[in-house]
Amino acid sequence: MTPGPGRALSLAVLLLVGGSSRAADPSCPVVALWPTQGWLIEANDTGAAHLAAVAALESYAFTLTGKEEARVGIRTDAVLIVHQGKIIYEKYGHGWNGLQRHEGWSVAKSVSATLLGIAVQRGAMTLEDSICKSLPSLPAKSCGVKVGHLREFASGFDFSEVYENRGNQASSTIAMLYGEGHADMAGFVANHTLSHPPGTWFNYSSGDATLLAATVDGALLPSLGKGYPWTLLFNPLGMTSAVFERDLESHLVGGAYFYATARDYAKLGYLWRHDGCWTGQRLLPSGYMRDSVQVTDAYRANPESDGVQGRQFWINVAVADRQIKQPWPDAPADAFSAIGHWGQYVTVIPSRDLIIVRLGDDRDDTFDLNRFLKLALAVSP
Amino acid sequence: MSIKPARLGRLLAATLLTGCGANPSGTPPSYSDNDLVLVTRFAAKTMCSCVFVMLQTDAYCALYAKQAPAVATFRVDKTKKTVAASALFLWSGRAHFVNAQEGCVLE
Repeated sequence: MTPGPGRALSLAVLLLVGGSSRAADPSCPVVALWPTQGWLIEANDTGAAHLAAVAALESYAFTLTGKEEARVGIRTDAVLIVHQGKIIYEKYGHGWNGLQRHEGWSVAKSVSATLLGIAVQRGAMTLEDSICKSLPSLPAKSCGVKVGHLREFASGFDFSEVYENRGNQASSTIAMLYGEGHADMAGFVANHTLSHPPGTWFNYSSGDATLLAATVDGALLPSLGKGYPWTLLFNPLGMTSAVFERDLESHLVGGAYFYATARDYAKLGYLWRHDGCWTGQRLLPSGYMRDSVQVTDAYRANPESDGVQGRQFWINVAVADRQIKQPWPDAPADAFSAIGHWGQYVTVIPSRDLIIVRLGDDRDDTFDLNRFLKLALAVSP
Repeated sequence: MSIKPARLGRLLAATLLTGCGANPSGTPPSYSDNDLVLVTRFAAKTMCSCVFVMLQTDAYCALYAKQAPAVATFRVDKTKKTVAASALFLWSGRAHFVNAQEGCVLE
């Protein structure tokens, strides 16, 4: 059948809103561009000041030092900057290109929290649910922990993330990923002793994030199957590169094993930047992203000295009453970031309408996110 | 003390140098697997994901998954999409590619 004028108009409207056929949710921000089908690219600024800023950024981020096998210094694989929904800067290094998925490590934690938000928005779970509601085989002693506690890294489990100068046998994270916990990570985490009452004590933990993702599995997988992260999140965003690995129990390894291209990581940032809405549709509950970037009472009780955590996102605020300085003083206070091992950063700066993705393979602690963001901001309008 | 996973690789490396199986602090929590088991499993899983998920070359991935000292050696089967890693001929880790959504899993 040949489409009539009305049909053509409908198609045009569909394209304008990025393919959504439903009416826009009035609680969602009105956004001109949605990159579901791919990012638009802004024409290069050829002004001298801009070129100098680009040179400074690249000098810092893309200068390799030492031999490859020495794995020293700043080793950037990708930098991607999105402003107002368009790519304004994109560069790959160290043998990488835009088609290859990059390991995100703990960026997975923020992805898991996003899946949790989707489950809450769909009414499949609440933050007040016991972790045992969707995972009934967990030990009874762990059932006082709520899903919302995991989101705050405040389960209270005596879970030891990596401690320098201590043996592998003291690291709960290594035991979970590669040791006795690797087959059933959620069960391994929930069998730890509760050293603090749930909800009272911050402890950055790949265990809490992995258990969090497993609770979402428990709530959604039986009815939607193992592909639900694609059905509900990656496909709507057009993240065709996304890979999220599972353990032998078929639970997502929600604290560590997520992969995507730089352009697809930026789509997650764009979702987070727009209050969890995509093409006018609300994927995350209203207020979920706002709460994701607030300092929690649990964090105040046990703050970390080298970063400020909200709820599965690192945030850029000082916590003066606990003598914690603003982590990235050269970036706006509303910046927040999903951060992973070996130099992965998906940073969102709502006040500048920026998504800044930096992927790398840093094996030492020389990369300075504050310095990098300062240089990236200088490249941006 | 810092608790980010950014030090996992270095920790594996450092503790390999300080002796296998020892827990210097002796305080709980404490886990049973010794360092060679952990390192070879890390190597197998990381190599599998690097080759079959990140689609990097074998040479790149061998360096990516290497721990210092480089006790692990790899056997990559591109047909079956498996990776086996061994260290000092004593321990082995094995991972396999599941599918395009789920990537690799440590066996």
